[in-house]
Amino acid sequence: MTKTMMLQSRIEALLFVVGDDGLTIKQLSQLLGEPEELVVQAMEELRTTSEEDLARGITVKEIAGVYQLITKSELADTIQRLVENPTVQSLSQASLEVLAIVAYKQPITRVAIEDLRGVKCERPIQTLASRGLVKEVGRSEGTGRAILYGTTKEFLNYFGLNSIEEMPPLPDEELVETEQETDLFMTKFQETFSGVK
Amino acid sequence: MSYEVKLEAFSGPLDLLLHLIHRLEIDIYDIPMAEITQQYIDHIHAMQVLELNEASEYLVMAATLLAIKSRMLLPIHEGELEDAELEVDGPDPREELVQRLIEYKKYKEAASSLQELETDRAQVFTRPPADLSELASDEQMALFDLNVNIFDMLGAFQKLMRRKKLKKPLRTTVARQERSVKDQMRSVVDTLRSTGGRASFFELFPYEDKPTLILTFLSLLELMKRQVVIVEQNGNFEELSVTLQKEEWDDDENNDATE
Repeated sequence: MTKTMMLQSRIEALLFVVGDDGLTIKQLSQLLGEPEELVVQAMEELRTTSEEDLARGITVKEIAGVYQLITKSELADTIQRLVENPTVQSLSQASLEVLAIVAYKQPITRVAIEDLRGVKCERPIQTLASRGLVKEVGRSEGTGRAILYGTTKEFLNYFGLNSIEEMPPLPDEELVETEQETDLFMTKFQETFSGVK
Repeated sequence: MSYEVKLEAFSGPLDLLLHLIHRLEIDIYDIPMAEITQQYIDHIHAMQVLELNEASEYLVMAATLLAIKSRMLLPIHEGELEDAELEVDGPDPREELVQRLIEYKKYKEAASSLQELETDRAQVFTRPPADLSELASDEQMALFDLNVNIFDMLGAFQKLMRRKKLKKPLRTTVARQERSVKDQMRSVVDTLRSTGGRASFFELFPYEDKPTLILTFLSLLELMKRQVVIVEQNGNFEELSVTLQKEEWDDDENNDATE
């Protein structure tokens, strides 16, 4: 029984008890009385062994900044059978668009979101707030002191992200621009050489 | 040309425009205004049923398109061409619209990558934490501070709903309960009395069915409003704790919502 194996079993037990509250490396290091780098190492081993062992249904993952025990994704069907009515209330297109805007441009007011989408956004914002995915993060300066919205920890959890930096990068305008330039070049080229206008 | 499109499929006028641009294989930087305006207006006509407030947004865009179209028809006067840079033509009236379309398109794409993440996340499951409050000392419970807003409450409620989701029994019988917020306020206070005047947010939700959860949540908000209870949070995202301040209150307000 090596020390890291001991440590792995202790980590696993702690993660089992805390469930989806999860624990950070720092918290684990304090609870276990072991230096952080040792905890990181044990955690990594725990993760690889549980991932690789096909006889096990549970693995470790860092979501929203905390390590949690999760069921393996390939077992989703098995678990769905527990639930009579497995229709997950996924978000509407409008809500997803509003959420994307808030995620990348936070803190942002409702009016700014509406300008960008060209439609009223009261309802999607309400939905998102009631599901705990966005919240008020402050008030804008100036008249009206409009609410500024930002994403929450629940947002990270809901999308399985570790931090807001993990969001996929915004599609680049550059790409559209370069395509455009090639197009322009081609058109000019054709115009020049075929005399067609 | 007879191409049926359900308008509900669009999340706004910009979305509809992008769809048209894509379908007509138009270069976004060189939009043929006459054609796109015609197509756009045809689509609006095709809307059979439409909520009025949404219709107005589509109409505003139609007006914008028409305005741009007419500005492009205006001749440019000699006098305006003093600037050497404006030799070919003045600022393109379409410029602003193009910028808006490109900006919107970025977030539309971002929304679809969020949707993929959402689907992936729904494949894995976690468990609510084990309840260790029996083992916690009173000193630990006394570390709460006062800064709970409605968003914290909603967050806690959302967490609660998620926790109850997997706990559903496989077979249930439906019994309709007629209870009011007022009754539920009473029972929340009784629960708090039995736990020595303080309980965690989650302890106040013993029932599994959604109507009762919502009823309890509403009555808790009502109790907070009347300062019968104080809800506190020990740092961001931590568990909420509910403390009983007084055991009696006036039932003078008759605007209680009833279940």
